[in-house]
Amino acid sequence: MSRGENTRKRIRELLGYTDDGFLREDEVIRTEGLTKCFGDFTAVDHISFSVNKGEIFGFLGANGAGKTTAMKMLCGLSKPTDGRAVVAGYDLHFNSDVKRLKKVIGYMSQKFSLYEDLSVWENIRLFGGIYGMKDRDIAEKTDELLLRLGLTEQRDRMVRDLPLGWKQKLAFSVAIFHEPRIVFLDEPTGGVDPATRRGFWEMIYDAAERGITVFVTTHYMDEAEYCNRVSIMVDGRIEALDSPAALKQRYGASGMDEVFRMLAGRAKREE
Amino acid sequence: MGRMQDFKRFMSFVGKEFNHILRDTRTLMVLIVMPVVMIVLFGFALSTEIKDVKVAVYDPSRDAATSRLISQIDASEYFTVTAFLDGEDGVLEAFRSNSADIALVFEDNFYHRAVHDSDGRLQIIVDGSNTNIGSMAVFYVSSIVSSFQKELAQEAALNQAAAGGSSSSAEDVQPVQIHTSTRMMYNPQMKSAFNFVPGVMGMILMLVCAMMTSVSIVREKERGTMEVLLVSPVKPFSVILAKAIPYFVVSAFILLIVLCLSVFLIKVPISGSLMWVVLVSLLFILVSLSIGILISTLVAKQEVAILISGMVLMLPTMLLSGMLFPIESMPKVLQWISYCVPAKWYIDSIKVMMIQGLGIRYCLDAVLILCGFLTVITGLSVFKFKDRL
Repeated sequence: MSRGENTRKRIRELLGYTDDGFLREDEVIRTEGLTKCFGDFTAVDHISFSVNKGEIFGFLGANGAGKTTAMKMLCGLSKPTDGRAVVAGYDLHFNSDVKRLKKVIGYMSQKFSLYEDLSVWENIRLFGGIYGMKDRDIAEKTDELLLRLGLTEQRDRMVRDLPLGWKQKLAFSVAIFHEPRIVFLDEPTGGVDPATRRGFWEMIYDAAERGITVFVTTHYMDEAEYCNRVSIMVDGRIEALDSPAALKQRYGASGMDEVFRMLAGRAKREE
Repeated sequence: MGRMQDFKRFMSFVGKEFNHILRDTRTLMVLIVMPVVMIVLFGFALSTEIKDVKVAVYDPSRDAATSRLISQIDASEYFTVTAFLDGEDGVLEAFRSNSADIALVFEDNFYHRAVHDSDGRLQIIVDGSNTNIGSMAVFYVSSIVSSFQKELAQEAALNQAAAGGSSSSAEDVQPVQIHTSTRMMYNPQMKSAFNFVPGVMGMILMLVCAMMTSVSIVREKERGTMEVLLVSPVKPFSVILAKAIPYFVVSAFILLIVLCLSVFLIKVPISGSLMWVVLVSLLFILVSLSIGILISTLVAKQEVAILISGMVLMLPTMLLSGMLFPIESMPKVLQWISYCVPAKWYIDSIKVMMIQGLGIRYCLDAVLILCGFLTVITGLSVFKFKDRL
């Protein structure tokens, strides 16, 4: 099977279409009818949307709305049951594509995802190595990164000894250390105070300015305001997708939390 | 180029796992200290050195031969005659009251039957509940008896010569014979104290490999780092392999410690081939690692992993592997269950090679069964481990 897939992929590459036109030039993610079922339960129900290059895309939804499942499909952790999705030029339908996709994306899970018993520097080196970076590049970029984060002094400290806000900043920096095309953030700011969240979002803006597309799930509505566009998922479907300003206008709301409450209130699914 | 990079990536993973293990000093100490303590404890508690073994004697004949033999035994540094019994029934009582460890029961008219009928009968009864004394005591008593037998024979020959009679030449051909028979009480199979060593080895290796490996993989799932690794270009197989290697090394190190302690401290005779003992142990380590990996693919919480490896692996290993109780005397159903315990086969084969001193040929079936376990369990865990959920 994999040989057949590779051949198809190669033909697609030779023809200059990594995505046979499905993915538009300014887009980095496009899905059509993307669906995931677990037995009888349809966690993600035929969602179709696209994400533009360099965009900060907010993926909103109540717990159980299916946003984590959708995100897991997009970063290759979970195989779609139905529908099509192309991410960074790779079609999720093909296992060989998913393998390549993994090299060009970054991921930060909602659980804090660095190794607590490794030092700051060891974590960076490990993940740099995982993404195939050269030792010299890792060393150079590490110094630069630590300087920027103000963590130079903490280089040899165990990550478990850092305050949570710093851990999250470090985890984000590690997730984009290999300059991915897209970084997926799954509720990255859980459990930290608003001031630290603001600092974190500054880093997200920096990354977006460098051309990294940011795909972020959150349930903090103040964070939704920071996104270029947001989609709101209810019961496995996308109920609304637009810029925060347009959404507020459409629903006659003063803030994103009001919009969210109106849409999420339609949910029939139990949490 | 790509190969090289893959290998470097893999090695940095192995290094990371070593760091996890080495930095968790408490767990590491437990891993190293526990086998040492167990072996040393068993070693000293079950020391095989015997001294002042208490001997009870029932001697209905009370002739020159029996009293000389008894005083010879009493005079040896190993034995002290503590009681003269009035009847054979006294033996049980002496064992129960702990006033004797072994009993010597002579037959009536011992001297005459030994010298003239070549059939002096002496029964050695051993309190088998004291496993370490038993076989050694029998060995020493037998050697004293056989040298006494020679003495008697020489005297008889001299007497014959002094009598100068060629008339009774037919009779003097009859050699002096003392027949000893040994009876074990309470532990008729005479399970050796050394039997604990293979048992401890099996248990420790199972514990270190299966429990530690499964816990360390499940910990990554719980903390969310496994998800990050699965999103990354790392092959899931190499993540698992990188986990298994350090535990393999640690287990091999523990094996080395246990073997050294067994040989040099408590002097278990490794009478078989050391190379095969080590190779079969390494095979068992692999089996345990694969069990640990299989457990980790099935559970999501560290506690569950510990519980499963504790209850589902340790208990059967202790109870059904023949380490504490002989499997032969268990009900049939339990015997069948014991066949499913990999440690049973390992402990069996190590007993054969270390204690009975037989070659690999005599435990080939057990080794092949271990190989079977390895193949099946590894296959199952590969099947269960999915990189795309």
